[in-house]
Amino acid sequence: MANVKFDNITVSYGNHTVLKNFSLEVESGRIVCLVGPSGCGKTTLVRALLGLNKPETGVITVGDRCLFDAKKRVNVPAEKRNIGIVFQDYAVWPHMTVLENVCYPLKKQRRPKDEIQKRAMHALEQVHMTEYAKHLPNQLSGGQQQRVAIARALVVDSDVLVMDEPITNLDAKLREEMLLEIRMIQKRLNATILYITHDQQSALQLCDKMAIMQQDGTLCQYGTDEEIILHPANRFTFEFIGVSNFIPIEKGPAGAVLKCGGASPIPYDGEVPQEALGGGYELGVRPNDIVFDPSSPIQAHVTSRVFLGSEYNYFLNIGEKQVRVQQSMLDARTRGVAKEGETVGIRFLNTRFYPAKKGEQTV
Amino acid sequence: MKRYDGASAELAAVDGRKRLNMDKVMTAVCFVLLLIIVVIPIVMIIYNAFFNEGRLELGTFVDQIKEEKNLSAMWNTLKIAIGATILGTIMGVFYAWLLGRSDIPAKGLMRALFNIPYMFPPFLGAMAWDMMFNGRSGYINKFLRTLFGLKTMPININSVWGIIFVEVSYYFPFVFMQVVSALERMDPTLEESARIAGAKQRQVIWKITLPLVKPAISAGALLILTTSLAHFGVPAILGYARGIYTLPTRIYAVIYNSGGSFDGIRQGAALSVMLVVVVSLALILQNRILSAGSYDIIKGKSMRPTLIKLRGAKVPLLILAILTLVLIVIVPLVMIVLISFLKAYGLPLSFENFTLDQYRTVFASNGTIDSIKNSLFASITAGVVCMFLGTLVAYVVQKIRPKGKGALEVISMLPYAIPGTVLSIGVILAWSGRIFGINLYNTIWIILVAYLARYLSFSMKTSSAALLQVHSSLEEAARVCGASHTESLADITLPLIRPAMVSGFFLIFLPAMREVTTSILLYGPYTRTLGVQIYSLRDAGMIPQAAALATVAIGIIIVLNTIVTKLTKDRKGV
Repeated sequence: MANVKFDNITVSYGNHTVLKNFSLEVESGRIVCLVGPSGCGKTTLVRALLGLNKPETGVITVGDRCLFDAKKRVNVPAEKRNIGIVFQDYAVWPHMTVLENVCYPLKKQRRPKDEIQKRAMHALEQVHMTEYAKHLPNQLSGGQQQRVAIARALVVDSDVLVMDEPITNLDAKLREEMLLEIRMIQKRLNATILYITHDQQSALQLCDKMAIMQQDGTLCQYGTDEEIILHPANRFTFEFIGVSNFIPIEKGPAGAVLKCGGASPIPYDGEVPQEALGGGYELGVRPNDIVFDPSSPIQAHVTSRVFLGSEYNYFLNIGEKQVRVQQSMLDARTRGVAKEGETVGIRFLNTRFYPAKKGEQTV
Repeated sequence: MKRYDGASAELAAVDGRKRLNMDKVMTAVCFVLLLIIVVIPIVMIIYNAFFNEGRLELGTFVDQIKEEKNLSAMWNTLKIAIGATILGTIMGVFYAWLLGRSDIPAKGLMRALFNIPYMFPPFLGAMAWDMMFNGRSGYINKFLRTLFGLKTMPININSVWGIIFVEVSYYFPFVFMQVVSALERMDPTLEESARIAGAKQRQVIWKITLPLVKPAISAGALLILTTSLAHFGVPAILGYARGIYTLPTRIYAVIYNSGGSFDGIRQGAALSVMLVVVVSLALILQNRILSAGSYDIIKGKSMRPTLIKLRGAKVPLLILAILTLVLIVIVPLVMIVLISFLKAYGLPLSFENFTLDQYRTVFASNGTIDSIKNSLFASITAGVVCMFLGTLVAYVVQKIRPKGKGALEVISMLPYAIPGTVLSIGVILAWSGRIFGINLYNTIWIILVAYLARYLSFSMKTSSAALLQVHSSLEEAARVCGASHTESLADITLPLIRPAMVSGFFLIFLPAMREVTTSILLYGPYTRTLGVQIYSLRDAGMIPQAAALATVAIGIIIVLNTIVTKLTKDRKGV
């Protein structure tokens, strides 16, 4: 029930700076997903929050409580921060039973025995693990251990709950269930949850807001999932969240043209901002923003079509450039499906224009 | 997401802000104790080998090197060690393969029996073989001589080859155990794919299996080499009386003959430097020949390897294995027990010559009872102290990672490569009144200090391996759950490595109980250990009495080993 504020945090390991002047404020009672590629500093950031590493600069506050301040030399030890954590590798203590694991945080708070028992059992109930209370962790599967770790984090009323990829080892159905469960727990406790993942699907499903982190440890964009998907701040966000197609674009004799290798550039009749015609730009479009339109000047060859239940997935070749297209069932009913080997006209909706990455300008 | 290697060091750095914290105290304690236990004795040896009363004096050292007896001792040491290593490795690998990979019957039983030589004190084995094949009076020798009407004794165990034979029969399990476990952890598909690719069984063994277990072979061979170079018991019993010296027995002779004078100890120190040089050279040589590669394909989890059918060779190989076991395990044991019932050594082994008097004498003698007490005291204390100290060093090295952790690791492992005899001389030099006037000579404490130095690395190794298994996130999770640093150690880390600590204790206690190499140089009139007592009884010609005490010692060892196996079996968790 408190907001979390990182202000100007810098963390280095030896000469390698992982986070540099990083700032982020997480509103109270929200589920915020920290999303980013491996090694971008997500874990380092939450370790700083937990008090497991020591930043060189900056301030960390939870609610109105200052946990860390480099200038004022404040550094609350890890055990006094009152933050729950579900570690990625579960960190379930192998020499304690499931119940003992879950009781441990309460024991450290010196709670009365019957209260400990009651709350621990309740936490196990929430993760559907009551029947395993007497088991040792090595008798459990990875997914079950993960649920024990979640129960252990839930059992105390922490100000903030940190979850580092907590559901990666569960099967699809259980993952769905756990996501709902986490959501409900959050509602009930009104806790602030910081959820680390690189799985955008669960991020989208779970979170109120997403913080996208870039490889170099900087915050790329912070916003609701809609904002992130519909208005990506830059090429990195656009590319990282969801699937994307990129096609080089430049100024031709009569308006914009797409360079797709092959014989001649293909004229593009959509709207293009002026700066994108200066050369070195690419047109970005999501697979579900490409529709079939026989009147379009862009002709593509269908190389494969896969039916995925709720949608069709195509690979098309425009010249020598491969693009991916997703067609919803509704669209398939109204416009019809394309067959493998056919040549179709396609049109791009919701296009974006970004400078090309180095080394990828020519196809 | 990758976790950073320095994760726990980070946590230590976070805690490091407090002026007086446990991590710093633990690190300091480690350094101080290792300085006292390990560094001072070693420095004292080097100092005394080259300096006399503060002045550089190479005379003693040069004299010792020039002395013919010492040179031949060095030569013998090398011959015995290299011979024992080569033969022991071949034997170890062969039986490891036979028990690990072939369809030979009664594997479990045979494996257990093959481990017996490992826990059996080699010098007792040497005693038994001496009783049978002594060049002058061996029982079987005499029997064979009369049987075939020979003029001389057919076999002389009191030779370099005799020493090599006895050492091989006790040291081959080093290679055997390493290789058997490597074979068991090897992914069988590696061999199967070679077969599918068209290789014959023989080719698979040479081209796939052997290269893959090479690191294990190499590690076991190294163990045989260093142990044999530093070994005192077998050459002392088989060679000493015949003038066949090795460096460790030469050191003993020099000190023994000088009656414990300082000059004798200085000569011993000079010889020790020679021995250390030989050991180091052997280590370098071994490294060159068998540069140990590491292969990740040997997995930690156990798999079910495909067994090779021996077909027609099954029965002969089974008989060979059984004969080997009988020869190296049962025959010496039976011999010692038989001799222990004899009225006097040399009498024929017939029923009318048997008596229980030797046992009565053994248990009536104060010296013997004292030696058992001394050994129990020194080895239990050494085991307990090393268990805690080794775990402490392991924790500091693995988890706190202070500056100089490399030095800490090297210092604690150093005695492992230094022969027990050498260590004893260092301990004598350090703790007989020359430093701060502390004189422990002739007390049980000096033996204890030597044991600590000698065995610390054992417990440190086992605790280190266990701590590596305890992921730092387990301790971190406890911290985040509200446990202080001390509480997280007590609640999480210690319980998790407790089984390793216990087995570390027994790894020290068992060999210390039958130890003779170190204590033979350190014992005083009232501080004989069990090993020393057996050795001196035999040395004084009271061979049946020595055999009786040896039987008692073997009994104690067997009982303790059974307890250990029981204890280590029901491990919980991890």
